[in-house]
Amino acid sequence: MDAKLDSRSLVLVVDDDARSASLVGRLLRADGYDTEVTTDGAAALARLTRGPVPHALVTDFHLRHADGLAVSRYARSRRAEMAVFMVTGHPHAVRAAVELPDEPIHVLTKPLDYPDLLRRLIAALGANVEV
Amino acid sequence: MQILREDAAPAPHTSMPTARETRFEELKRYVRFDDGDARALLALRPLAAPHFVRIAREFYERIREHEDAHSVFTGEEQIERLQRSMVRWMDRVLSGTYDEAYFEETRKIGRVHVRVGLAQRYMFTAMALIRVSLEDVAERELRADAPKARVALTRILDLELAIMMESYREDLAVQVRRRDVVEAQSLRTDLARALQLYEAAIDAAPNLIVGVDASGHIRLFNRAAQTITGYALEDVFGAPFVETMAPSEGRSKASALIDALLAGPPTQASEESFVRTRAGKIRDVRWYFTRIPSGGPDDIVLFANGADVTNARASARQLHQNEKLAAIGTLAAGLAHEIRNPLNGAHLHVAFLQRALAKSLAEPDVLEAANVVSEEIKRLARLVSEFLDFARPSLLSKKRVVVQTLVTRALELTAPDAAHSGIAVEADVPPQALVVHADGPKLQQVLLNIVQNAIEALAPSGTGHVVVRVRRQPRDVVVEVEDDGPGLPTPDAPVFDAFFSTKPTGTGLGLAITHRIVSDHGGAIDVHTRPGRTIFRFTIPIGDEGADSDGGEHE
Repeated sequence: MDAKLDSRSLVLVVDDDARSASLVGRLLRADGYDTEVTTDGAAALARLTRGPVPHALVTDFHLRHADGLAVSRYARSRRAEMAVFMVTGHPHAVRAAVELPDEPIHVLTKPLDYPDLLRRLIAALGANVEV
Repeated sequence: MQILREDAAPAPHTSMPTARETRFEELKRYVRFDDGDARALLALRPLAAPHFVRIAREFYERIREHEDAHSVFTGEEQIERLQRSMVRWMDRVLSGTYDEAYFEETRKIGRVHVRVGLAQRYMFTAMALIRVSLEDVAERELRADAPKARVALTRILDLELAIMMESYREDLAVQVRRRDVVEAQSLRTDLARALQLYEAAIDAAPNLIVGVDASGHIRLFNRAAQTITGYALEDVFGAPFVETMAPSEGRSKASALIDALLAGPPTQASEESFVRTRAGKIRDVRWYFTRIPSGGPDDIVLFANGADVTNARASARQLHQNEKLAAIGTLAAGLAHEIRNPLNGAHLHVAFLQRALAKSLAEPDVLEAANVVSEEIKRLARLVSEFLDFARPSLLSKKRVVVQTLVTRALELTAPDAAHSGIAVEADVPPQALVVHADGPKLQQVLLNIVQNAIEALAPSGTGHVVVRVRRQPRDVVVEVEDDGPGLPTPDAPVFDAFFSTKPTGTGLGLAITHRIVSDHGGAIDVHTRPGRTIFRFTIPIGDEGADSDGGEHE
C-alpha cells in the first residue's frame, strides 16, 4: 500500500468554476490519483513553480489572469512529457490556437465526459489503482 | 441634294449677253443716258479731279461718325487704300467711256461691299454724299453748263447704284447659298457622327436593348443582347420579339404586355421576366419598355431595355446568406459558452452521483434515474455540437474527388426511398471522369441532401422524375438536381436559411448545411423553381489539383 502511495501520479486540476474543479479532484482521487486544485491561471502558474511537479494537467481554457494555453506551456516547460487535458466550450478555436507540441494536448469538449477523461489519463500515465 | 444641284448650276449672275441689248445698255436706255451725258461728264473730269482726294477724305470722315458703317473697316491702312480706290472710281465715273468693261468694274464694287459686309443703306446714303460734292464742283466750275452736267451726274450715279445694288444682291445670294451648302454638309457630318456615337453607346450598354416595330418584330438588337442571348443580329432581325425572347411558359403574359404597349399611346412599363437564350438557358431579366410615337411601318416604336439580373440576384442571395451565417456563427459561439459551462457542471455532478449510488447499493431504479440524466445531458451536448458544426465555418479536408462517384453513391443511398415512393432517379453525367479538389464526404452530404429533398418533394404524389446532371465548365463542375414536383411555395422561399423547412419532420438544417459546405468550397448554390420543374444547381471550383481524369488540360 505504501509503495503504491509513493507511486501515485499527481494531477493538477485548474478550473475557475470551483465546484467543478473540486468535483473532478474528488473523482480522480477516488480513482487513485493525487490531485491538487486551483481556480485561476495565476495560481496554477504559481503552483507549477514549486515541486513536486505534477504528471498531468487538467485545465479549463478560459481562466482568470492566464489562460489554459499559457498554463499548459509553462507546465510542459517544467515536465516535457506532462499529459495535458484542455477542457473548453470552444474546442475548434482552441485546437486552432494550439501549436502542435511534441506531446499532443488533449482538447476535450464541455460538458466533460469524466469516464472519457479517465480512460485517456490511464492511457497516458497508467492506472495507479485497480479501476 | 437640291442645294447641291443648285450650287453646281452656272452662277445666275453670269450675264448672258443677248444679240440685241446688254443689261447695261438697257439700263442706260431707261435713264436716257446718252453720248451727250458722256461728253458732259468727260468735260467735268479735269475740273473735278483736283477735288477727288478731298471728297474721298470727307466721305470716309463721315463714315467714321457711324458705328455700323465704320465697323466694316479693319484699320487705317485699309481706309487709306479704299480712299485711293474711291479716287480711281470717281475718275472712272467721269471717264466718258461707258462700255461693258465699265459695267463689270461697277459690278465688282457691289461684290466688294458684300465681302466687307457693308450694309446697303450706307451704299445709298454715301452715294448722296458724293453726288452733292460732285454737283457742288460742277456748279462752281461750269457755271452755265452746270445743269447739263448735273443731269449726267444724276444718271450715271443712279446707274452706278443700280448696278452695284444688283451685283450686291446676287453676290449675297450666292454667298448665302454657299454657306447653306457648307452648313448642310457639316450638319450631315455631325448627324452621321452623332448616329455613330449613339450606335456605339447602345452597343456599349451593359443592358439588352432591343428595338421593336409596330408589328412586334425586332429591328434593333444591341451587342449586350447578342452576348446574353447568344443570338446574332441576323438571327433575330425581323423575328417576332416575344416568340424569340420569352420562354414558352411566360410567353402569353409577355405577349399580352407587348400587344398592349404596341396598341397604346407612348408610355413606359417594366416587367420582371425571363429570357431564353439560344442555348436554351433561362436568364432573369428586368425589362423597361418605352413606347415612342409611331413613325413609318418599319420604324422602331418600342424600346425594350433589359437588365440581366441573374447573377446579381444570385450573388445578393449568396451575400445575404453569408451574412446570416456569420451572425449565426457569432450567436453560436455565445451559446457554446452559455450552454456548455452549466452542462459541464451538471455532467460532473451526475458522474459523481452515479459513482456514489453505485457504491451505496441504492435501488437500481435510482441509479437508472442518474444514468438517464447523464444520457440526456450527453444528447443535449451533441445537439449543441451539431448546431455549432453547422454554424461555424468548418475546415475542409480536400482531396481529389471524382464527381461521378459521388453521384453514383448518392443514387445508391437514396434508391430504397425512391423505389418506395415510385420515383425514378437517373444520372446524366459525362463519360469522362470529372475530378475536383474537394472534401469528399462533405460533398457527398451535399448531393445526398439535395437528392433526398427532391425525392421527399415528389413522395406525396407517388410518382415523379429526378435527374442528377453533371457538367464541366471552364473553372467549375456544375451539378444540377432537377425534379418535376410541385416546386417551392414561392420562387423566393428562403430554402437555404437555417430552420426553414417545408416538411413537417424537417429540422430545417439540411439545406443550410448544404449551402455552408458549398460556400466553404468556394462554390455557389441556387434554386430555380416553378410548378413542375425545380432545379437545385451548385458549382464546385475545379481547383488547382482537380482536372479531367486524363489530366490533359493540366501541366
